[in-house]
Amino acid sequence: MSFEQQFDAIENEITEEGDAPPFFSRPGGKIFIIWLVFTAIGVVIGVFAPHHLLPGLQSGTGSDVWATIVFFSVLAAPVAAFVYALSFYSLLAWRPKKSGSSDEPPPDGPPQRGNGPLTIVWLGISTLLVIVLLVWGMTVWSSQQVAHDGALQVNVTGQQWLWTYEYPGTGVTSRTLELPQDRPVQFNVTALDVIHGFWLSTMGIQTDANPNENTVIRTTPTTLGGFVVRCSQLCGLNHAFMNNKGSVVTPTQFGNWLVSQGATTSAAAKSADVPESSLTPSSSSTTTAPPMNTAASQ
Amino acid sequence: MSLTTSEHESTEDGEHHHEYLPAVEGAENPGGEHESAGERDKKERLMIWLFIGGDLVILILEVFAWFYLRTLDSNGMWNAAKCTAAANCVDGLGNPLIGPVPKASIWHPMIIMSLAIISALFVWAAESASRRKAAKGAVSGPALAALVCMIGAIVVQILQFQVLPFTTIDGGYASVYEFFMGSTLAHLLLMGFILTGLWTRAAKGRYQGGTFHRVRIMRMFGVWIAISTSVLAIVGGFFV
Amino acid sequence: MSIATAPLLLEDTPLGPKAGGLYRRQNALVGLIAGVVLAAIGWVISHALLQGSNWGSDMVVTVTLTCWVIGFNIGIGTFNAPFRWVVGKDSTREDELYGAGVGQGAARYWKYCTDHKVVGTQYFVLVMVLFAIGGTLAMMIRTQLITAHSSFLSPGTYNNIVTIHGMIMIIATIIMVSGPFANFILPIMIGAKDMAFPRLNAMSLWVVVSAVPPLLATFVLGGVDTGWTTYAPLSVQAPPAMDAFAICIITFAGVSVTVAGINTIVTVSTMRAKGMTMSRVPIFAWGSVVSAALGLYAMPAFLTAMSMMITDRATGTSFFVNQLGGAGWLWENVFWTMGHPEVYVILLPGVAALMEIASTFSRKPVFAYKAAVAAFVAIASLAIMVWAHHMFTTGWAPNLATPFMLTTELISIPTGVIFLVLIGTIWKGSIWTRLPMYFLYLFLWNFIIGGVTGIYLSDVPADQFFHGNMFTTAHFHYTLLGGAMIAATGAVCYWFPKMTGRMLNERIGKTAFWFIAIAFQVTYFGQFWEGFQGMPRRIAFYDPIFLRANQMSTVGAYFLMLGWMILLAAIIVSWRNGKIAPANPWHAKSLEWKVQTPVPLENFLVDPVVTSDPYTYGEGVPDGQNEPSAAPEPELVPVGASESSKGEGAS
Repeated sequence: MSFEQQFDAIENEITEEGDAPPFFSRPGGKIFIIWLVFTAIGVVIGVFAPHHLLPGLQSGTGSDVWATIVFFSVLAAPVAAFVYALSFYSLLAWRPKKSGSSDEPPPDGPPQRGNGPLTIVWLGISTLLVIVLLVWGMTVWSSQQVAHDGALQVNVTGQQWLWTYEYPGTGVTSRTLELPQDRPVQFNVTALDVIHGFWLSTMGIQTDANPNENTVIRTTPTTLGGFVVRCSQLCGLNHAFMNNKGSVVTPTQFGNWLVSQGATTSAAAKSADVPESSLTPSSSSTTTAPPMNTAASQ
Repeated sequence: MSLTTSEHESTEDGEHHHEYLPAVEGAENPGGEHESAGERDKKERLMIWLFIGGDLVILILEVFAWFYLRTLDSNGMWNAAKCTAAANCVDGLGNPLIGPVPKASIWHPMIIMSLAIISALFVWAAESASRRKAAKGAVSGPALAALVCMIGAIVVQILQFQVLPFTTIDGGYASVYEFFMGSTLAHLLLMGFILTGLWTRAAKGRYQGGTFHRVRIMRMFGVWIAISTSVLAIVGGFFV
Repeated sequence: MSIATAPLLLEDTPLGPKAGGLYRRQNALVGLIAGVVLAAIGWVISHALLQGSNWGSDMVVTVTLTCWVIGFNIGIGTFNAPFRWVVGKDSTREDELYGAGVGQGAARYWKYCTDHKVVGTQYFVLVMVLFAIGGTLAMMIRTQLITAHSSFLSPGTYNNIVTIHGMIMIIATIIMVSGPFANFILPIMIGAKDMAFPRLNAMSLWVVVSAVPPLLATFVLGGVDTGWTTYAPLSVQAPPAMDAFAICIITFAGVSVTVAGINTIVTVSTMRAKGMTMSRVPIFAWGSVVSAALGLYAMPAFLTAMSMMITDRATGTSFFVNQLGGAGWLWENVFWTMGHPEVYVILLPGVAALMEIASTFSRKPVFAYKAAVAAFVAIASLAIMVWAHHMFTTGWAPNLATPFMLTTELISIPTGVIFLVLIGTIWKGSIWTRLPMYFLYLFLWNFIIGGVTGIYLSDVPADQFFHGNMFTTAHFHYTLLGGAMIAATGAVCYWFPKMTGRMLNERIGKTAFWFIAIAFQVTYFGQFWEGFQGMPRRIAFYDPIFLRANQMSTVGAYFLMLGWMILLAAIIVSWRNGKIAPANPWHAKSLEWKVQTPVPLENFLVDPVVTSDPYTYGEGVPDGQNEPSAAPEPELVPVGASESSKGEGAS
């Protein structure tokens, strides 16, 4: 047989009787099965693991992060599975015995230099996946850029090595970050000295604090509970310690907290968007900090 | 891959088959070259283009820095245009700063730019002389003139540091402008070194007899130096 | 000279006592002494003139270390040729031969030797030394992080170690394939006698060597506490060690890598053997050229950034100081203009080497060669358009987030083609599972994970969770260590017989492989876990909720270190006492395997003429000929020399 014929014979594994063997006994078929198994494993991990690994998420922007991770994992699983399935199968089926210790190479494989249609399909699938990922990302991102009128403004200032939060209109400056539930909040972030990173991981938001510049990030906390703000940009000696606690509380608790920090009742009520009468004036007892939201399993 | 011997390598007795080209009178590196001057030249010209490409990246980033800081005008300190006595601006050492920062004289960069251009033209003249196999002096003369112009440009650039109406601590404009000056000086010094070699070697007759290739690549580089000097001079001079 | 007295091999040419001139007295020790002496002079003068002035200590450090670099290079001989040229002298043929190492034996490895094979070997040793230093620093980091509040390192020391670990690894990974293999192997592979500019080749090696002491000097100059990305304004405020750091980068990236890249591009463009068109060139040549071209874009950017850093620190300019008209964002932009292309500069040569390995050990041609070339070019082109994905959370330009997300996600398309090429090459091949092939499989596993996790990072909203997070650290270790460095290790195993004349001990090598392969997953899955939990990167102490994940990562790291040390042991043992390697142990078809081992000076005793690419597996012809012909394959072994007489490593 000529080389083309030999190659075609290998490719299609035509037996001497002239019948092609059934799909699942051909390499393509076997790889398909392995691929299905690997994909299933990947999808299961992609769907269920993030929830267990991530900390409890406290806002829509946070859930967006979780949803993105799950979605991208599910899309990636078949791609990864294909590469892994084929690699795995190659070691099972195309590795001559004792090849690992042989000084002589095994006989040559088929002189297959490429496959135009396959390359096109491959490029097409990759492009399609990229478009899907892009549309997803753009949609989520633009939904996060929407500015809400009446959003609570918090001015965040980073310095070596602590965060300060100022609530304009109330005169309150604090080293812990309290936020009312279900109220859009806009952080205006700056720094005094070097670049820091204002990172609220449970809400899936982060922006750098740059000296002499103001950067903005928005979210709406939805879940009550404590969180930790960490600095995400190496800022010198005690960068590791530049963390502080905060919590999402009910609007009334938020108003009371503002008052306890020195705001007038009217300013606190305005800021918390609750009626002034619901606040306990000058209460010296602050609410006990709700439990930390940590990962469900460690 | 398939191999066969090449035609010009054949001996009967197993001696190693290296062939050296005979020495050419007036050529660079006389004797013992494996490759012809043409092959060597192809490599060196590609090398110059690649080097210019890298230097182009540096030029683009310098110009980017200029326009970026100028647009951003962080803290109003591009050239402290809004810094009155009342505004309490300070410079990099904490001294009070009243703006706007005075502009550097346009003459220095213009003179430097002109000298760099003229120098490149002289190198071109040297190349033409070499190409048409003129006498030694016809190559080394313009080479010396090119070197003198370059030295002049270097001197003017160094002088400019001393007569600037500002220093590096006076904000963005001052910083980037002086960086331009330093970058120009470094490039002019490099070109001065190359032109020194051109002159000494032309005076020894290396570039006669039609062996103009090295002069050509020096001309290419000299033109590039003239271009980059001009870009920085124009940006720094007219886009404050 | 008469035929009767002509030497058989070029390297046996007897040279006169003056051949080489000044080079005869110059070597690394002389370089060291000259560097120290000039640095001391520089220090004394600058200290006397400048110490009391503003920014005095920065200026002194800058001047001193610049003098070190210049002095070392004067001593080793970098400046001999330019100065000889400028006064109108030229080197003789004897000088050139001396420069190529003739008559010096093993001493030439300590000298400015223009033979590309010597330079390649020198790079190989240098890379291993750099990885040893960087790896030790890594182990110190992981040891610190085995508990939440360790007293092993102070925070300042920790930050400095993180910085230097990062920088040394970046240096080492940039040169790990292009240094040893684009120098030693590539010219032979394309049928050339040497690189296009042999003196510049030697220069680029010794310039890297001179760049390393300033980097290590940071430990005694106050440390750099910024991470290798040296974001301003923190880096503008850093101790004088930052000036040393900048001198290292300007020297290494601005000079050495740029020059080496030019050399590679010119060599492959102009010095290929007769008949070797660019479509017949081995894919490794394409990977090296594209990487070098990308480096030519990126490294000058690094030079510019660090020059501005030095002027900010030592002369008071305010490129990066917001209060004075500068911008931290300017630093970030210029830095990442280098920083992103740089990772593809690191990756492409290794990937190209793996394509060669895939072909040789599947006994099949490289699948979709043209697509592979297109993928390399596409990656390089896109790489210069994605830099701001490192700046999604900086607040620099929120409107540009989407365009950069687009370009970043587009890069996954040509990266996918690379996978197509690799697995297409394996498809229905005859898999020969020798040691180099192991690393191909490990690359496939690791780079999928690294690439996919990069997709998460490229999504702007998700990046708000992942930026500055240990997830990012795990991602780039998967791609750079698990991907590029594993590819480089495969290349080491593949070309070791040609470079050293010995076979690498496969038993030890395969043991090392399994330690590395498994420990790597443990180490970096631990860091993915840390990242999911919300642990920031570059912190010396952490919240105890991250404890278990850190313990997992540290334990993995220790076993990973063990794996690398076993591999190092294999390399050392085999280099000294390994089985003598035949000229073509892998029965491969590219030109480097057609010359004898050890490779003679100027590589080819007979100029090769090629008629096909080196992937003629399965095309039914005996090794080396495209069609049967009456003439026998010409012998490439010189008359009279035999393999066993040259068994002591490289010639």
